[in-house]
Amino acid sequence: MTQPRTDLTNVRTSVDKANGLPNPHYVDPAVYEEEKHALLFTQWAGLAVAADVPEPGDAKPLTFLGQPLLLIRDKDGDVRVFDNICRHRGMILVEEPRKIEGAIRCPYHSWCYSTKGKLVSTPHVGGPGQNTHDAIVRDDLGLIEVRSHIWRDVVWINLDGQAPAFEEAMADVIDRWKEFELPLYHGGADSRFELQVKTNWKLAVENYCESYHLPWVHPGLNSYSRLEDHYNIESYGQYSGQGTNVYRQLKNENGDTFPDFPEVGAKWGEQAEYIAVYPNVLLGVQRDHAFAIILEPKSTEETVEHIHLYYAAPQTDQSLRATNTQMWKTVFEEDIFVVEGMQKGRHVAGFDGGRFSPVMDSPTHCFHDWVAGKVQSYREGRIAAE
Amino acid sequence: MNTRLDARMIAAHEAGDQAALVALYTEAAEAAGDVDAHCFFLTHAYVFALEAGAPEAAELHARLKKLGREE
Repeated sequence: MTQPRTDLTNVRTSVDKANGLPNPHYVDPAVYEEEKHALLFTQWAGLAVAADVPEPGDAKPLTFLGQPLLLIRDKDGDVRVFDNICRHRGMILVEEPRKIEGAIRCPYHSWCYSTKGKLVSTPHVGGPGQNTHDAIVRDDLGLIEVRSHIWRDVVWINLDGQAPAFEEAMADVIDRWKEFELPLYHGGADSRFELQVKTNWKLAVENYCESYHLPWVHPGLNSYSRLEDHYNIESYGQYSGQGTNVYRQLKNENGDTFPDFPEVGAKWGEQAEYIAVYPNVLLGVQRDHAFAIILEPKSTEETVEHIHLYYAAPQTDQSLRATNTQMWKTVFEEDIFVVEGMQKGRHVAGFDGGRFSPVMDSPTHCFHDWVAGKVQSYREGRIAAE
Repeated sequence: MNTRLDARMIAAHEAGDQAALVALYTEAAEAAGDVDAHCFFLTHAYVFALEAGAPEAAELHARLKKLGREE
């Protein structure tokens, strides 16, 4: 039997006694590979947003953890995710984002697929000019579809196909934000941006879900959103984050604000919440706008943050939207030095994973507990298989 | 296939002009001397029509199917 790569015993104890995850979870490619399976392939992970393919036929190739996938909105408007390869010779089907006008034609031997993944043509498969053969059953050779689900415009995928149904797996957080189950309108080109960060993706989760750092890293918030106005959100085994009781709407020089999500209720007037939905999606809700951040793990020490802002109405003030995007961009950029600094710190051989504030760090501990639990289960499964 | 049609096909391929490819391969099919060559070119016309979502796809499919070359 092989020894586990890391000892996680002290991660899953109570927050006042626990240490954080050991260094190899941030710097060792072998653990990264292990976590790829334990934390991302087996769960509902964020891949993209539906707004990436707004019109029927829009197709966008993506690589998720090294796996080429195709995000596409089919002719009926449903968003689907396929393995981006032909069932014939495994050739990549779509190399660049583009509109599929009719069928997806493999550029190698021209096998064609509908936008729903059905194999519709196999030219010359039975010889020149003979496009059928008994051995090639088209119904058995459609594109391989990845299990996917859209919630809050995020395209969530379960690559191993074994996770519980999305609504079941995410029931708690869906219920928590049920007042926000309303149409979301992506703000468009001015409401999306990416940040390339030299950090393991988990450090971005950890920094996002606690409010402890806010007065130090985001001093601009102190004037209206003090530390004592925040509260922790923890649902062990599922998600964690933080909320505020003093959300203040952005206003332009005329005092105009974004329109509210209709009937979100008195509860959400000055309240806003920011939740890391494990594994890799960071969500925020406020009375008048929302955002989604999809963390794309690129390697052990590199992550791309894909940020998208949403509004309650299809048309909003462009200038106000640009100001809002810039405000959030500033906040998220302020976080870069800490996630990159913690990443560098994980190369100190004697670091024990650190100790938590039992009061302020419990959302981070909640995430570590989830990571450790999933990794332990994965390891136990591997040992049983051996 | 005559050299002029061949040259037009190459130009259409280089330009990625799918409408022209559908038309030119259909033309080549009509001019083909035997049924296999006819179906070969018709297949290309059909595939490019299918890819482009062109209205000709349905008729080209029907012709190939009638000849026992498509499902």
